[in-house]
Amino acid sequence: MSELEQRYAELREIIAEVLEIEPEELTDSGDFAEEYQADSLRAIEILARIDKHFKVEIPQSELPELRNLKATFDAVSRHAGWQG
Amino acid sequence: MDIAKVQAALPQRHPLLLVDRVLNMEPGRSIETIKAVTASDPCYADVPVGAEIGAYAYPVSLLIESFGQSAALLWLGDEAAADGSVLLFLGAREYRVEGRAYPGDVVRHVVHLEQVVADTAFATGESWVGDTRIAHIGSLMAARRPKDAVGTTSNEEDRHVRT
Repeated sequence: MSELEQRYAELREIIAEVLEIEPEELTDSGDFAEEYQADSLRAIEILARIDKHFKVEIPQSELPELRNLKATFDAVSRHAGWQG
Repeated sequence: MDIAKVQAALPQRHPLLLVDRVLNMEPGRSIETIKAVTASDPCYADVPVGAEIGAYAYPVSLLIESFGQSAALLWLGDEAAADGSVLLFLGAREYRVEGRAYPGDVVRHVVHLEQVVADTAFATGESWVGDTRIAHIGSLMAARRPKDAVGTTSNEEDRHVRT
C-alpha cells in the first residue's frame, strides 16, 4: 500500500467513525448528508479530526466542499501538499 | 474562582448551575472544578423513603452537564454568558462511567481543551471523587452559536450522547 493509499484508508476510518458506520460502508462518492444522514455538526467534527490526525487545517469556508470521501481527501491533499 | 464569579461567567442558573468552584485554570488549556453533591439536590426530590443506595447515585446526565459547564468556563472564561450567543452541548464520545457519586461526595472535574474549530470546542478529561476516577471523557463537543441562528424548529443541533 502506497503512502497515499494508507492516508486514504486512515481518512476513511476517521470519517466512518464520525458517521457511525463501518469503514467498508463508506464509498468514495457517497454523499455524507444524503447517504449517511450527516448534519453540519458531523461535518465540523470531521474537520476537527482531520486537523488533529493529519495536522492539516482546512478553512471553515471549504466545509461545503467536504461532501464525500473523495472530495474530502482531495481537500486534505491540497492543503497538506501531498503529491499524487 | 468562587461561586459568585462562576455564576457571573456562566449563563446557567439554579438549579442547573452545576459548577461550585474553580480550583485552578490554565486559560485555553485546562481547568479543575468541583461540584458538591448533596441530598438536597433537586434530582433526589422523588427518591422514596426506603430506597436502595443506588437510587442516590448522582445522574450521569447531570455529571456530563457539570463537566460541560466546566469546559465552557475553560473555553470562554468570562465571556461564556455573553449576550447574543448561546452555548450548545452537542455530544460526547467515549464517555466511560467508572464509578458513581453520592450525596456527600465532592466531584472534581479535570478538563483539557483539545481543539476549537469553527466556534466548536472539543474537550477531554476525567471526573473524580477523592482518589477514585468515576468517569473518563474521550471527547465532549460544545458549540457557541448566535441566538438568532438557533431556531426552535431545527432538529439539526440535536443532542447526542453516546456512552
